[in-house]
Amino acid sequence: MSEQSASAFNTVSVRTLIGVALRLLWRDWRGGELRLLLLAMIMAVTSVSGIALFTDRLERALLQESANMLAADRVLGAREQPPRELLSEAEQRGLSTAEYIAFASMVFSDQGNLLIAAKAVSDAYPLRGDLQVADEAFGVAYVADQGGPARGEVWVESRVLPSLDINIGDTVFLGDSEFTVSRVLVQEPDRQQGGMMENAGPRLLMHMDDVPATNVIQPGSRVTYRYLFAGEQSALEDYTTWVRNQFDGQYRLRDVRDESAEVSEALNRGESFLLLGSLFAVLLAGVAIALTARRYSERHFDYAAILKTLGCTSNQISIIYFCILLAVLLLAVIVGSIAGWGLHMLILNLLQSVIPISLPPASGLPFVVGALTALICLFAFALPPLLALKHTSPLRVLRKDLADAPLSTALPYVFGIAGGLVLVIWYSQDLLITAILVAAVSSVAVALSALSYLLLRSGTAAGMRAGSAWMLAMSAVRRRRRQSVLQVLVFSLTIMSLLTLGLLRTDLIADWQAQLPENTPNHFMMNIRSDQVAGMEDYLRDNDIQSNPFYPMMSAGLLRVNGETAPLPWDNDEEGNNASSSVTERSAESSQDDASDADAAENDGNRSGRVENRQVTYTAQLPPDNELVAGSWWGSDARPGEVSVELDYANRLRLELGDELVFRLGQQEVTVTVTSFRTVRWDNMQPNFFFIFSPGTLDSIGSTYLSTLLLQGEQKVLLNDLLRTYPTIVVLEVDALIEQIQTIIAQVSSAVELIAVLVLIAGALVLLSCVNATLDERFRENAILRTLGAGRKLIMTSLLIEFAFIGLLAGLIATLGAEISVYYLQVEVFQQEFFPHYWVWIVGPLAGTLIIASLGVNATRRVVSTSPLAVLRNLSA
Amino acid sequence: MTSMVEARHLCKRVTTSEGELVILSDINLSISAAETVAIVGASGSGKSTLLGLMAGLDSASSGDMLLDGQNLSTMDEEQRARLRGQSVGFVFQSFQLLPSLTALENVMLPIELKNDRNARQKAAQLLQRVGLEARVTHYPNQLSGGEQQRVAIARAFASQAKILFADEPTGNLDTTTGAKVIDLLFSLNKEYGTTLVLVTHDDRLAQRCGRLVRLVAGEITEDVVAGDAVHV
Repeated sequence: MSEQSASAFNTVSVRTLIGVALRLLWRDWRGGELRLLLLAMIMAVTSVSGIALFTDRLERALLQESANMLAADRVLGAREQPPRELLSEAEQRGLSTAEYIAFASMVFSDQGNLLIAAKAVSDAYPLRGDLQVADEAFGVAYVADQGGPARGEVWVESRVLPSLDINIGDTVFLGDSEFTVSRVLVQEPDRQQGGMMENAGPRLLMHMDDVPATNVIQPGSRVTYRYLFAGEQSALEDYTTWVRNQFDGQYRLRDVRDESAEVSEALNRGESFLLLGSLFAVLLAGVAIALTARRYSERHFDYAAILKTLGCTSNQISIIYFCILLAVLLLAVIVGSIAGWGLHMLILNLLQSVIPISLPPASGLPFVVGALTALICLFAFALPPLLALKHTSPLRVLRKDLADAPLSTALPYVFGIAGGLVLVIWYSQDLLITAILVAAVSSVAVALSALSYLLLRSGTAAGMRAGSAWMLAMSAVRRRRRQSVLQVLVFSLTIMSLLTLGLLRTDLIADWQAQLPENTPNHFMMNIRSDQVAGMEDYLRDNDIQSNPFYPMMSAGLLRVNGETAPLPWDNDEEGNNASSSVTERSAESSQDDASDADAAENDGNRSGRVENRQVTYTAQLPPDNELVAGSWWGSDARPGEVSVELDYANRLRLELGDELVFRLGQQEVTVTVTSFRTVRWDNMQPNFFFIFSPGTLDSIGSTYLSTLLLQGEQKVLLNDLLRTYPTIVVLEVDALIEQIQTIIAQVSSAVELIAVLVLIAGALVLLSCVNATLDERFRENAILRTLGAGRKLIMTSLLIEFAFIGLLAGLIATLGAEISVYYLQVEVFQQEFFPHYWVWIVGPLAGTLIIASLGVNATRRVVSTSPLAVLRNLSA
Repeated sequence: MTSMVEARHLCKRVTTSEGELVILSDINLSISAAETVAIVGASGSGKSTLLGLMAGLDSASSGDMLLDGQNLSTMDEEQRARLRGQSVGFVFQSFQLLPSLTALENVMLPIELKNDRNARQKAAQLLQRVGLEARVTHYPNQLSGGEQQRVAIARAFASQAKILFADEPTGNLDTTTGAKVIDLLFSLNKEYGTTLVLVTHDDRLAQRCGRLVRLVAGEITEDVVAGDAVHV
């Protein structure tokens, strides 16, 4: 051979290798070799891009809708007028701004007067959402074509008109000014925002520039100033930082998550679940990729050996198989992205009825996420077994038994685990979830290997004593003990993922539904005098209105703990956040907008003089959704001088049972002993309290009462009647908010269910790849058995028994693993209570047996339908 | 005459659970260019192992193995692969065609690996030469055993190898087909002037070679040139 041709051989062009790779790829595709690998890869891309597209659009839509609840993206509130600089700076940063002033005032007509919740808005209000108006009381609503009312005009809620005995076009008086009532206000986006004073009656909307002339705002008036901001996310973030730095934490911009614990909970949990779901789907697809790639590579040992005899070097073989994988990747990304788009459209279509809002268009990011996922899957799961091909000995062309050495190294496992970790951390951005998943999977894997090994041994020993199909099945399981353990492991991890997700889904949705059941009260009544309680109870009963207990309510400030000045609860809070921002808690508070709720009314010792006032109550009965976690409840034989404290609040104040607390209520000081701690469900739309006193403690202190009621549909008009009968009470309407929350929860629940289905498909793919992985060996074994005279029925029965046995073991182990994982996920991630799921101990093993047996038998049916001669000839070739 | 293949004190040992097993012991053998050599022996005598060592598919435990003047014992697998690509062709008992590729593509492969732009044309000519011009687009599983072996022979000659190793080339074929395939192999060998080393059980096939080397329990017991008988 000439030197020239020798050097030509040394530099085999990449083009030639790519050509070889593409031909192998094409033929493998036609022969079905690559189908499962490609399918697994497509599955990974589809699930990730589909879920990413859906969550991308849904989250933006939900944020948009949530922003409507604030009438802005961010809100800043204060009792004193905040500096105008805040608005001008925001405008300079390209943000839209609006502002309003809220205050309670009396409004008069010629016929009567009424306490209203006035809101004076600037021209740009609302920045998000719409104002809905009507041309007559209780009339048909339409979207107002401008912002708020023009100067000299006011818009009022429907029930103001009958209360004042006026019509549209009539005049009302507010302070020193008179206004024309030009429209009926049906809905404002941020109606539920703000404390009691902002919502202390029906709404009157006016122009901000009209406020000075009314002279209703005097020094000392209870007024809330709110600045609203909307714009690009990044600009909002920058601005938020600027406000924090510039004003040293005095002002804080809130978003919807700060404003509503209920929505925030639903969104956060939903997002965690979607993320967990897509994570499971990808990891399962990853396992399927690893299994199929391994099988593909095992079937290509001969190829690699022949290529080596023809002069291919190890590196050239790596290039050929790398090209094949790249082509598969490319195809998977293209097909998976299209399928992902289809999947997310399908989800959207299914959810059409519960997503009333138009979704913003998708960004390109989900596709990038999908492609990157495929790349990680490729490198972590598929590449190692294929690159191991380069180690194939060319001697294999002479001796076939030189097969398995390259794949027995730990490399594929190391790569797989590393890739899995990268994916988990990348998706969750949460080390806790990562730690839980990794700990669960690895401990389960170790325990399972040992357990399934033992079970297989005892199970097969028992099987050996049974009939011939049993014997055949059990000896097959035993012969492939290592493989069987691996199969049980993969099956049980797959079933475990499915069970975990299924259980979480069920509990999550049940929890949401329990949070806001259908008969959740949707109106708060406050400022009820004690002499009005009995009459109101009669009124509600007569009108068939569902109501709840009346709680006495009064404002109390904690002065001392065990003789020491009481700390402010937020002193121990790094972020300075309130413990809760639940609607109910807010509603019970007289103020909540300031950077702190503390009153600066009195200077107490050497402290800054800030005493935090809380609305407190006393009752003999532990309120619903309250759970005692320490100490004892006083019950019916209560003694005065005891207090029960909400657990988080107690922790912030570092209280212990037996501590002596001194409160100031009005002009009096009251000393009580802490006798119990409670947990409170803040998101249940019920009156909730940090401090509950024992009956008799606060009897001498005057109080008003608080209760909740459920007004459904047409009952709403009774509100006017109620307010006419008891004009001094304050009614807070939260029905619109509840409806909004329920809609969001319904949306998230549906999404959660779809994700579970997707994971199910990924799981099925893993099961199929795992069964397929042993197909070659089964073909060989069963061909020999059949040539030796074993009947078709015997072989099928033994296959059925073998797979059912493996499925049963996997189901049992998966159930155990799932219960443990669900426990940690619920307690640590979703902050739910854990209850063991007894039914799953039946469903898990049963499902394992049925699924694995049917999948296994179905996939191996060919083993008995192909002629033994054809199999043996094929194998010897 | 220059040596195409030369084994010097070649030994192959493997370690098994029952201790060390000597497969080839002190093999000394020299094969000249254009020679045709049959290696015969009973099953387990080490003939396939010797073929593997001579072709650079495996490495010896001790001793030197020279192929086309290059010492395989001092080369790593990458270098041996290149040498195989340059100088060696194979014909196997189980044909070893790539099932994913058509007959034409199988024959094209070694030519393409040499960056030859005329791979398709040369492969088609070779297939015509082995009488398979009508089967170029067929996949191996669509061909009979004899046809597959003819494709394998065409592939072996496609790389213009200096030396051809054949491992039981008729082992999977019936007598008539086997005879036809052997005729073809020898005729092409003569045409291309290639060195041919074949391992076989088949005495009639061995008789067609110019030299016969007999292995018994890993040792050469007989090395005869046609018409001559030399016992070692």
